[in-house]
Amino acid sequence: MRPATTTLSRRAATAAITATRPSQAQLLSGAAIKTTTTAPKSRYITSLSRPRQMQQIQQTSSIQSRPLRKYHSYEHPPPPGPFSPTEEAILSAAYKHVPEHGFSLESLALGAREAGYLDISTTILPEGAFSLIRYHLVKQREALAARTEALFRVPENQKHVSISEKVELLTWERLQGNAQVIARWQEALAIMAQPSYIPSSLKELAKLADEIYFLAGDVSVDPSWYSKRASLSTTYAAAELFMTNDHSPDFRDTREFLRRRLGEASELGSAASAIREWIGFTATAGVNVLRSKGVRI
Amino acid sequence: MSVSAARPALRRAVRCSNNTVKYSTAKSGLLSSPASLSRSFSSTVSSHSPKTPNSSSIPEYARPDPSRPTHFGFETVTEAEKRERVAGVFTSVAESYDRMNDLMSFGWHRIWKDHFVASLNPGFSPLTSGPDPRAPQHILDIAGGTGDIAFRMLHTAHNINRNPDVRVTISDINPAMLSVGKQRSQSLPATQQAVLNFVEANAEDLTKTRPLHSDPSAATISIPDQSVDLYTVAFGIRNFSNIPAALREAYRVLKPGGVFACLEFSKVDKHPLFNAVYKRWSFGAIPLIGQLVAGDRDSYQYLVESIERFPSQEEFRDMIVDAGFVVGGQGYEDLTGGVAAIHKGMKPRA
Ligand SMILES: C[S@@+](CC[C@H](N)C(=O)[O-])C[C@H]1O[C@@H](n2cnc3c(N)ncnc32)[C@H](O)[C@@H]1O
Repeated sequence: MRPATTTLSRRAATAAITATRPSQAQLLSGAAIKTTTTAPKSRYITSLSRPRQMQQIQQTSSIQSRPLRKYHSYEHPPPPGPFSPTEEAILSAAYKHVPEHGFSLESLALGAREAGYLDISTTILPEGAFSLIRYHLVKQREALAARTEALFRVPENQKHVSISEKVELLTWERLQGNAQVIARWQEALAIMAQPSYIPSSLKELAKLADEIYFLAGDVSVDPSWYSKRASLSTTYAAAELFMTNDHSPDFRDTREFLRRRLGEASELGSAASAIREWIGFTATAGVNVLRSKGVRI
Repeated sequence: MSVSAARPALRRAVRCSNNTVKYSTAKSGLLSSPASLSRSFSSTVSSHSPKTPNSSSIPEYARPDPSRPTHFGFETVTEAEKRERVAGVFTSVAESYDRMNDLMSFGWHRIWKDHFVASLNPGFSPLTSGPDPRAPQHILDIAGGTGDIAFRMLHTAHNINRNPDVRVTISDINPAMLSVGKQRSQSLPATQQAVLNFVEANAEDLTKTRPLHSDPSAATISIPDQSVDLYTVAFGIRNFSNIPAALREAYRVLKPGGVFACLEFSKVDKHPLFNAVYKRWSFGAIPLIGQLVAGDRDSYQYLVESIERFPSQEEFRDMIVDAGFVVGGQGYEDLTGGVAAIHKGMKPRA
């Protein structure tokens, strides 16, 4: 399947694959598989479970027949953004209407009008209202990188910031990105939990966890590579849900919740249970929102 | 559905168009069969046509040319001949086309049409504070034949989105198909009938349209540039002799921000087993069923072949982009594994 590489790097890559394989298998046999029927499996695996380090190993090989997708490549310019200029124009204008109109077709249409398009123009967005949610997820994730320097600045007299502290800081930073739209976030979670959007939602969650570990400077390649990210995903999702009901000043309770969960997370079980838990959380949120709207479930 | 009033007229149309098909088939000796898949026939008609001076910016292939060779199913005929023959096919099946769609789609076409219309959500226009900003919507349903798409559009716009400011122009090359649509529209609420408009037009040239059943010698009317919000074509475009010309016309009549939307039979290549079964079904069984049920093997044979000829999802998407449209995501959505697909494109802002 892979092109021939130098023996050395191939062996290293194989080692990395072997290292992550158990968790991959667990994931695919776990709850997630039922929900991913619409997503090509290969894409799913690429985004969820190929360690960054493995990609870097592959990059060093001289022969490569098929370009691989890389999240953080130091040698190549980033791939074109996930949104075309037209989509960007409509979505960025629509995003401003989310606090008032939610992640909805209303917001999309209002955005389209502002960008000089028609109500009907929004129908070329393949995922409807979910496009707006994905826009939020992508933009918030991408914004993290620019803030790391300020986040990790340590007061003169203190020891350096550890990786797990950085993970906590970044996760909290990302959670605060939801503050603007927090009143709409349960609704968004309900949309994300719809069967056709679960694969995309999970993929975004996986990319976030990967981004956080990358920005935190975690470079280890070992069997924990996958489960670390999976448990961060679960913790993040739980904290995100917690935050939608948090009325404490500056979401202090959410931060406390996050700290506690990150502490426990190191002892958490397998990837499969982590993903199952995430779906549980999200689905519960969805059911609650639907109930609040008078649907009898 | 009641089409009894239109029936005598249709019968006549069917009879004479069947003659047309048989005549042209006999004349050129091109009885097609699945075995003639790779055969291609050269046209005896010269494909040279004098260029009109003011249309020189239009690529040659995008200019309608009645004498240019095109495909009729797997046969090669001239564009004018194809138009004549397509008209024949649809006249002969105007009444049984529902059955035909059922056969090709395993009964799914109604669900696809519902989904198509729902995904376009016609008439949706949120109210904001201040004066009602809702602009009227003009939908142009091309190859709208019997009104299937147009009636659904009106239902969604008027009843679901409660926006009465949506009107629909149903256009088809074939007056017999339009007559069936007109007849069916009599059962719609008066408010919906009032905003429906039936016009005869070749989709490849929307500058020359005429109201249904108008005097053939009367002057033609052009659909103005930038006058349409939504252009739809369902199970029609594969019948066009010159698809790029039709796309160019769609682009012309749409407003900036307006949407081109197409529902069409497509390719199930991504699922080899299903593909094999589906081909067997369509090439083996459908013409035979057409023969037995409608006594019209040729029309059903044409139907199957025209579907096979139609470009793949990606190729058609690229044609839409070449015509100047922008697409969202991959530009299309497969239905039922690709038996049909929805393509959408938006005319960008100038
Ligand atoms: C299978 S019917 C589709 C009818 C309807 N849209 C539906 O979805 O049921 C195809 C229609 O395309 C029309 N048609 C074929 N060639 C055309 C052309 N060049 N311009 C306009 N209409 C055309 C035929 O007359 C016929 O009514």
